[in-house]
Amino acid sequence: MYRRLAPRVRLYGLRHLRDEDAARDLAQQVMLLTIEKLRSGAIREADQIASFVLGCSRTMARDLKRREWRREKRRETFMVMDTFESPAEDSTLDADHLERCLARLAERERRVVILTFYGEKTATEVGHELGVKEGNVRVIRHRAIERLRTCMMSRDEAE
Amino acid sequence: MAPCQAPIPEETLLDYWTRDLADGGESDRVEEHLFACGDCSARLNRLAALGTGVAALVRQGRVAGIMFRAMLNRLQRDGVHVRMFWLSPGETVPCAVFPGDDLVVTALKADFSGVDAVTLSISGPDKSSFGQYDDVPVAGLGGELLWATPAALVQQMPSMRLQLTLKSAASTHAELGRYVLEHTA
Repeated sequence: MYRRLAPRVRLYGLRHLRDEDAARDLAQQVMLLTIEKLRSGAIREADQIASFVLGCSRTMARDLKRREWRREKRRETFMVMDTFESPAEDSTLDADHLERCLARLAERERRVVILTFYGEKTATEVGHELGVKEGNVRVIRHRAIERLRTCMMSRDEAE
Repeated sequence: MAPCQAPIPEETLLDYWTRDLADGGESDRVEEHLFACGDCSARLNRLAALGTGVAALVRQGRVAGIMFRAMLNRLQRDGVHVRMFWLSPGETVPCAVFPGDDLVVTALKADFSGVDAVTLSISGPDKSSFGQYDDVPVAGLGGELLWATPAALVQQMPSMRLQLTLKSAASTHAELGRYVLEHTA
């Protein structure tokens, strides 16, 4: 159960908190609570577990976000500079190959991909920056990611 | 594990990850499915890993292409060491990279009024092509086009003269500026 659901909570955390450490903490907290509830018999039905875990993830992620927002306000008030924390890199990705694949994209595609993943911008925000309609950004983004995936897979298959 | 009977479409998964699905409604339905489905969860995980990989490369200055001033500022805040060169049309500027540089950025000043998109061509000795960026939108560039190259790549280059030509991407192909970088290895 832990092996099946903990990675999903981590992914949920990464999507909502955009921080690898916070996502891992969230996964740990949610799974601990779930195990406690299972032991105490508060959850009995197997098909209730995923929905309980999702509910806990939502509540705890909201709390974490609120806490982070307060911390950010304090930081702004007192001008305390935090050191920048990079999210953990995925060790299964070949960075050199990804760099080559990224370089092969058309300029417009590369900019959309970079604004999306590094800039963490939505299609609407990317559209504003590039002077392109949101719908077009979505098309470019989807096509670019497909190209990146195909390029990455061509290397995997060759090995 | 039983295969997914109703996989989330790739576009929806991507929209979910990039927050293009508003919280509540469809976003909630996607989350409920992801928590119950190993296949779709694994697909999202691969997408997230790709995104993390791209962000890590950019953060290391390992990205070539055209960029915005705001992004350049963010890279510098993230600790990327940027070596900048500024060129006006017709200008020749000596350039070199130094130990510790991560990214080399050349700022090409130009008058973009009435222009939607541009093409940047870079040629080396004997007019050999060194790269070309087509159909680059100029919205938001603010009078300068920033061309970024990883410093590691520039460090491998011998001394040479690079000619950069900026043209309108419209059918007129009107020239907006020619610039020269005198690179010293």
